[in-house]
Amino acid sequence: MPIEGMVAVGAGLAVGLAGIGAGLGEQGIGAAAVGAMAEDPTFFGRGLLMTVIPETIVIFGLVVAFLLMFM
Amino acid sequence: MLRKIIRKPRAAEWAYIVARVRVMKRKLIPKDEYNKLLNMDLNEIIRYLEESEYKNEINELAIRYSGVELLDYALYLNLTRTYRKLVRISKGLPREMIVDYLRKWDFWNLKNIIRGKMFGFPKEEIEKTLVPAGEFDEEFWKMLLARESVEDIIKEFAKKPYYPILEELARACPISEFEDRLDKFYYTSLASIHSDNIDIMYFVDFIRMEIDIKNVKTLLRLKLEGASPEEIAAKIIPKGYQLSESELRKLAAMDYEDMLKNLENYWFSEAVKQIKDQPLSKIEVFFDKVWAKRVLSRANHFPLSILPVLAFILMKKIEVDNLRIIARGKAEGMSAEEIKEQLVVV
Repeated sequence: MPIEGMVAVGAGLAVGLAGIGAGLGEQGIGAAAVGAMAEDPTFFGRGLLMTVIPETIVIFGLVVAFLLMFM
Repeated sequence: MLRKIIRKPRAAEWAYIVARVRVMKRKLIPKDEYNKLLNMDLNEIIRYLEESEYKNEINELAIRYSGVELLDYALYLNLTRTYRKLVRISKGLPREMIVDYLRKWDFWNLKNIIRGKMFGFPKEEIEKTLVPAGEFDEEFWKMLLARESVEDIIKEFAKKPYYPILEELARACPISEFEDRLDKFYYTSLASIHSDNIDIMYFVDFIRMEIDIKNVKTLLRLKLEGASPEEIAAKIIPKGYQLSESELRKLAAMDYEDMLKNLENYWFSEAVKQIKDQPLSKIEVFFDKVWAKRVLSRANHFPLSILPVLAFILMKKIEVDNLRIIARGKAEGMSAEEIKEQLVVV
């Protein structure tokens, strides 16, 4: 496989695996946030914030993918 | 029953029910508010509760009842609805555990109906004592009330796994023994569950600790009443957490002072150290406090488990009991200090 192909696979893996990791992290937080909001809607803001915190991992993955593709 | 459930719940399932329960627990009356309540009269207490989680129940029942009676019914109606909500919002293993634990209310209702029928109480009087917080709803219990004989009542449980035990107890035992043996059956059946699933182990340990507290309270009460070791042994519930049946028999045979000294070696020693020369009512409060503290601390240690849910179930019952004690105390004209001594505030 040419080197460009390997880079593309690496970039895909960086985003994909980061996405799976974030998803695994979010499942518990999301469930807890929905539970708390069901009892008290004022938890919406905090719940949303906590739920998206693992998303930062995907941003790292995306940055790595960009670096691989365009550097 | 729990044994049937094999699949281990995912962390997300615990997170959902525990988060809901934690928010519900925040809505319980805070510790400091009890001091305020103690300084109010009965009408002020009712007004205070009208602005709390008990609002709907008080408004619903205010047409039919007033004073202490209104509070009694409103508090129990709220307790029932809260417990039924827990069953409704949970699923899988957490739900099975909650239903199994709340079955104590099914047995409570069954005992009340059978006792009421045996002593010829009118249906309305028996109905007032019912708390449909377990597996069966109000309609089921009303249907049971319409049954004439104890056999017919027991037959309604024919599809339940515990039916053979109920049938045997109802056939063979007088009413007082029936009640004791039903309690023993409830606790031992839950405490005997064997599983290497850690979630179930937490639940079983909780039940076994509750057995310890029940046993030690029975032991102290009967000792103070001067019961014989044999009478005490007959009331012991087996399968405690630290207090085994044989240890309890030994303790029952000791004199009161030696027994207290020996009881200091168990997990509830904090309560035992306070009981010297205290009346029985206070002693029971010490143990209830130690039990509540232990349950809360274990719930904090194991947050993604059934323990926070069980802690909430216990704390809700304690709150209802505290409010009833305050209301009854106020109605009887007791002083704030006297009432405070009876409250379980942790």
